[in-house]
Amino acid sequence: MIEIDALTKTYGSSQVRAVDEVSLRVPAGSVFGFLGPNGAGKTTTIKMMAGLLTPTSGRVRLGGFDVARQRSAAMAQFGAVLEGSRNVYWSLSAWQNLMYFGRLKGMRKAQVADRAKDLLTGLGLWERRNDKVGGFSRGMQQKVAIAVALIAGPPIVLLDEPTLGLDVEATRTVKRWIAEQARELGTTILLTTHQLDVVQELCDRVAVMRQGRLVADLPTRELLATFRERDRYEIRVEGAAPPGFEAVTAEGVSTISVRVGDPIEVYDVVERLRAQGVVLESLTQVQPDLEDVFLALVSEPSHA
Amino acid sequence: MLDVLRAEIGKGLRVQLAHPLGHVITLLISTMMYLGLQFVLGQGELREDLLPRTLVAIGGYWFLQYAALVMVADLIEEKRAGTFAQAQMTSAPPWLPMLGRLITASVFGLAVAAVASLVPMLVAGITIPLRWAALLPAVLLGVNVLAFTFLLAALALVSPMIGALQSLFTSLVLLLNGSFLPLALYPDWLAVLARVLPTTLGIEAITQTLFEGRTLAGVWSSGTLPSLLLHTLALTAVSGLLFVRNHRRALQESS
Repeated sequence: MIEIDALTKTYGSSQVRAVDEVSLRVPAGSVFGFLGPNGAGKTTTIKMMAGLLTPTSGRVRLGGFDVARQRSAAMAQFGAVLEGSRNVYWSLSAWQNLMYFGRLKGMRKAQVADRAKDLLTGLGLWERRNDKVGGFSRGMQQKVAIAVALIAGPPIVLLDEPTLGLDVEATRTVKRWIAEQARELGTTILLTTHQLDVVQELCDRVAVMRQGRLVADLPTRELLATFRERDRYEIRVEGAAPPGFEAVTAEGVSTISVRVGDPIEVYDVVERLRAQGVVLESLTQVQPDLEDVFLALVSEPSHA
Repeated sequence: MLDVLRAEIGKGLRVQLAHPLGHVITLLISTMMYLGLQFVLGQGELREDLLPRTLVAIGGYWFLQYAALVMVADLIEEKRAGTFAQAQMTSAPPWLPMLGRLITASVFGLAVAAVASLVPMLVAGITIPLRWAALLPAVLLGVNVLAFTFLLAALALVSPMIGALQSLFTSLVLLLNGSFLPLALYPDWLAVLARVLPTTLGIEAITQTLFEGRTLAGVWSSGTLPSLLLHTLALTAVSGLLFVRNHRRALQESS
């Protein structure tokens, strides 16, 4: 479990608050999506969780251990793939990287070797284990970074943009792996990414940060349901749309998009169309996806 | 703890040996530069009376220059690349991997200094007498160099400009520690300035034992050995304190 209490980080004499009183609970065995636009404070929060940055105030506990006061025990609780960094040595082979980081995590040589073999086999890298990582594709390098994060079998894994720059196949492999880790091994995974389809597919719960503050922290379904009241409807009609309606017309069919606060208002719209002699082809409720929710959250006042 | 240290040293050696050609080129440049400079300073000849002393001095410089290069350049590169952060997320205390890096740097510094010194000895027939009395000053010189290297690494934790500062200091050491001319030939004020720099006092103490036949007691009574001891202790203390301070600062300011 990850517990964050009133975590705050200020920088410089101007006391800019990069992270402002953020509190979170990530239950054991869940996949937690941690979202926000660039500069929202996600990476700063992750660095504080990983013990790479000292909070100005507040507390982080990983698996029950305080990162500041019980650093050694807390560090044993997690592995991480950090955003925008190599995470592994390019001049070493995949095998050498895993052996190094495993021993740095306090594992014995034989233990690391067994674990490294399992991980490299699982991630499809066993045949290339003795090749230098610098010669690998971006996807393979990211798999090695993930294997490094997992080498000590940590109960918590922090993944900062793990699918950034990966091709479709590599992204699929990483997504499958994330799901397996959480569902089958009970690993707690905190995931940040700008690929919201990945979050919607994998995460049990989602938190959104904006300007250093949390603006939402809800189970994914609940978060989507919260925005369902703003559902959009698409009405397809024959020919051109009547005046007063914004529509896209193609091949003799117009698609009118309407946004309503209450579903009952859709009947009024349909009635207005009927009154103007418009022939209705279809009426579809457009469900909001996480991208809609995210955009709404980061452009509106606090929602949580 | 020992396992972590062994892993760090093993990784450091593998990373360095991944590009052996770079080391060979460094060795060639170092040797050629030394012999070339001595040829110019000797006005067209290699002076047998100066070569052994200057070779000991430039050996000290090579040790310092290469150890610092391995330690600081790797640290800056790893901070940029992210492997430094990845290696920090362990149960080990932060000074332990740094100690491993320092040991790796010292191994490479010593190896380069030894091979680069051996080549001129063979090429120019330079003989350096070996005496037990030189052992203690040599050990202190080694600690002196490593303390300075650790100080640069401590600065590298927070300063992106450390590369320039490192070049400045190592250039000053090359100019003033006796690599070109023995310290005894310097004007007094310049000799005082030179002794503040790392390696100079160590080279002076070694020179006194090897080439002037002094005993350790003699080097002590000349004031060189006590000065070397104080210089080394002060440098070690300052580098240790600076590491603690800058590690804390890096954790507060990392962005």
